[in-house]
Amino acid sequence: MKLGLVIDLDTCVGCHACATACKEWNASSKVNGALSDYEPFGAEPSGVWFNRVRHYEVGDYPENKTINFPVCCMHCADADCVTVCPTGASYKRDDGIVLVDQDKCMGCNLCAWACPYGARELDQVPGTMKKCTLCVDRIYDEMLAPEDRQPACVLACPTHARMFGDFDDPQSEVSRVTAERGGFGLLPELGYAPVSRYLPPRQPQPVIDADDARALLERGLASLASPVIRR
Amino acid sequence: MMMYHSWDSQNAWLRQILSENSLYMNRGTAHELELGDGDWVWVESHHGRIRCRLKTMEGVEAHTVWTWNAVGKQAGTWGLSPDASEATAGFLLNHLISELLPRNASDARRLTNSDPVTGQAAWFDLRVKVSKCAPGETGIWPVFAAAKPLPGDHGHRPRVWRYHA
Repeated sequence: MKLGLVIDLDTCVGCHACATACKEWNASSKVNGALSDYEPFGAEPSGVWFNRVRHYEVGDYPENKTINFPVCCMHCADADCVTVCPTGASYKRDDGIVLVDQDKCMGCNLCAWACPYGARELDQVPGTMKKCTLCVDRIYDEMLAPEDRQPACVLACPTHARMFGDFDDPQSEVSRVTAERGGFGLLPELGYAPVSRYLPPRQPQPVIDADDARALLERGLASLASPVIRR
Repeated sequence: MMMYHSWDSQNAWLRQILSENSLYMNRGTAHELELGDGDWVWVESHHGRIRCRLKTMEGVEAHTVWTWNAVGKQAGTWGLSPDASEATAGFLLNHLISELLPRNASDARRLTNSDPVTGQAAWFDLRVKVSKCAPGETGIWPVFAAAKPLPGDHGHRPRVWRYHA
């Protein structure tokens, strides 16, 4: 199994619901323990998040586009964050999920340096590293309805821009949509074989002005007329 | 898209996503007005004026400015530390808009200055003038004195916030 996420950059509106839903589920999860927030009501609030959303603009007005870009653990097939861990706390499961054993982690930060996606967060209170668990404590929970056995971020997304599944199964939704839409992994050149995939924004249809419309119409008429002319 | 008015935006998690706002302006328009990212600007309407920080972007119509309104909060309110950036950097556009439409001579009733369908304040037809502040004119304006704490509030705020399973 190769479990991971698909994130659709075409439909993501950058609302941060994935980030807050993740925090809500994982802040009281037994996998990582509480996720600390520091100075939450002060001048510079900060804290531990597994999912962060960046916002970018590409192109110049009016040919511009806003890209909302959620990033969390890619659950790499060749995860250096696991290889560099000196205590064996960081490990990869048979289903592909990368986890940190909180009882073995000594907070040395090596895995955070190894991860090019910034997906690891040191919790300063216990002094241990924490990260996305792909909601391992949801996805196998048979007490939940089958449709709820998905990561919290996927369930929360209001535009269905996130999908969860097994990339080893070519018939899974994540495999099919990745093939159809040209899904790509981030920074493949680094060789960590990230599993999660991003779907590129689709090209918007050009806005047609009066001159374009006339030209199109003329071309359209010409195409209709040409077979007659050729004969 | 990550903010909806003031309600609960003081939440420990939500304010890590957004705890201050800027006035957003089209980059080309700002360039024509000789304004740049981070400049302090005066924003004036027929009703009032405010001072705030400008941020330029591509994704806004060239003759429109916008902000996440209601991030700005009076110091000492909403359970936040008085030096919270909501109070020191956040600002409200409300000083620029009238709550009521001008009085109509044929109708004694004052009508609310809002969209008749949604009730949304009529920002869409509020015209403003944006100009660069004079050197030394910095900081948000207007600023109000910190609100007195509520009875029983001794100012204790947790420095670390954790939920336990």
